Amino acid sequence: MRYSYHRPASLDEASDMAAALPNARFIQGGTDLMVRIGQGRERPGHLISLRRIGELTTIDANREIRIGAGATLSDTLAHPDIRRRLPALAQSLAALGSRQVRNMGTIGGNLCNASPAADTAPPLLVYDARVEIRNGRAIRCLPLAEFLLGPGKTALQAGEILVAIVVPDPPEGTGSAFIRRGRVTMDLAIASVAASVRLNGGASIAIRVAAGAVAPTPRRLTAAEAVATPTDDWSRAAIAAREQIEPITDLRASAEYRRHLTGILVRRALTMAAAASGQWSIDR
Amino acid sequence: MLLTINGRPHDVHVEPFESLASTLRERLQMLGTKVGCDRGECGTCTVLLDDVPVYSCLVLTRSCEGRRIRTIEGVATANELHPVQRAFVTHDAVQCGYCTPGQVMSAIALLEQHALPSDDEIRRSMSGNLCRCGCYPKIHAAVKSVAAAAVEANDDR
Ligand SMILES: Cc1cc2nc3c(=O)[nH]c(=O)nc-3n(C[C@H](O)[C@H](O)[C@H](O)COP(=O)(O)OP(=O)(O)OC[C@H]3O[C@@H](n4cnc5c(N)ncnc54)[C@H](O)[C@@H]3O)c2cc1C
Ligand code: FES
Ligand code: FES
Repeated sequence: MRYSYHRPASLDEASDMAAALPNARFIQGGTDLMVRIGQGRERPGHLISLRRIGELTTIDANREIRIGAGATLSDTLAHPDIRRRLPALAQSLAALGSRQVRNMGTIGGNLCNASPAADTAPPLLVYDARVEIRNGRAIRCLPLAEFLLGPGKTALQAGEILVAIVVPDPPEGTGSAFIRRGRVTMDLAIASVAASVRLNGGASIAIRVAAGAVAPTPRRLTAAEAVATPTDDWSRAAIAAREQIEPITDLRASAEYRRHLTGILVRRALTMAAAASGQWSIDR
Repeated sequence: MLLTINGRPHDVHVEPFESLASTLRERLQMLGTKVGCDRGECGTCTVLLDDVPVYSCLVLTRSCEGRRIRTIEGVATANELHPVQRAFVTHDAVQCGYCTPGQVMSAIALLEQHALPSDDEIRRSMSGNLCRCGCYPKIHAAVKSVAAAAVEANDDR
């Protein structure tokens, strides 16, 4: 078979290449794609590397936080605005893979790969992130929740490039947190939960919860959000979360264990997020 | 294509989807870099790309044009081991030795970035390098001793 490797220097060039080359795949860090190619699960005819395209790697935190899809997980984690304004995202990046994986892998690759366990997705969902997609010369935007469609499935059409992830600045007084449990640190999560909380005294103003590895896609747990309150120690939120997920049994854990664990993680993530909002202490 | 490895240019022919680990081992006979899993899980293939540790089994060689590759072969000078290598020897941080080149490369990258990493930083930073012989405590001690020695040397000056 004829196959080849390309390194376009601009988004226009990359789009044109993808349109002209059937059976081509984009590659960034390769930490997902190279593994699949090595295992023979994927045989692209052409690889189009996006690593030379400078505008894909910039992180701009002036108003909204705009993270280029090609920013490495390490560079995103090291960015001071991301640590300060999006702590749950920073926590998910710190938990993802190893140092080598974070040096190579990118945030866009993590989302495009669309693993149900993608660690950056739950925090980005609670932050209400949207994605910017390049289609030929046009740009379209989608809420992240509409981008992730199923295991390995996204809303990207053939030849479309994920360009950036845009996160609105969380309002003053928002606390957020991410927790995950895996068998060992270097393994995908058995379950992960991100939460963000904005309280006014004891009353909740805005609460968001999302979970990973317990449904076909990482998803918001709106039923848990609707009943979440610090006054019952987040118990009803935990119960509602267990109901709203669709866990499976696989080599990492059973569905029953995932359901049980999700309830606990939801409660802990909400407790941590509330504490981080500065209005509700853990040891009341 | 032209690769810059340990400061020296190498002109090699590579296939489009070839991994850097294969190029190093099979085309350049640089056998110091080991391949354990060939799928990004064990760390034996760790090399530094522009001074940052990566798994060479997942890096496409064709993406390395114009970048600085450092491997275990470039670490020691003709007659002297690198301080990290010496510390691995003194602390007996090697059993079968298969993971060692990768461990040394990760340790060098860490110490170049943080002269005095905390225990936690060492553990986190080295967590992408598995040791099947379980030498972790000794590897940890070796890395720590290099950091401590560097600080002492600085104080003496
Ligand atoms: C040892 C190991 C441990 C890991 N641990 C974790 C973990 O704990 N948690 C976790 O979530 N993940 C983990 N991963 C998975 C992986 O590292 C991440 O998903 C990473 O973020 C993928 O990014 P990448 O740039 O390497 O993607 P690539 O492999 O380059 O690409 C992934 C997919 O996205 C497509 N793609 C990439 N960029 C674009 C773009 N801009 N536009 C359109 N399509 C695009 C590619 O075609 C491909 O299908 C691990 C991987 C390894 C090898
Ligand atoms: S051989 Fe590359 S990580 Fe195991
Ligand atoms: S010394 Fe044998 S694998 Fe580490």
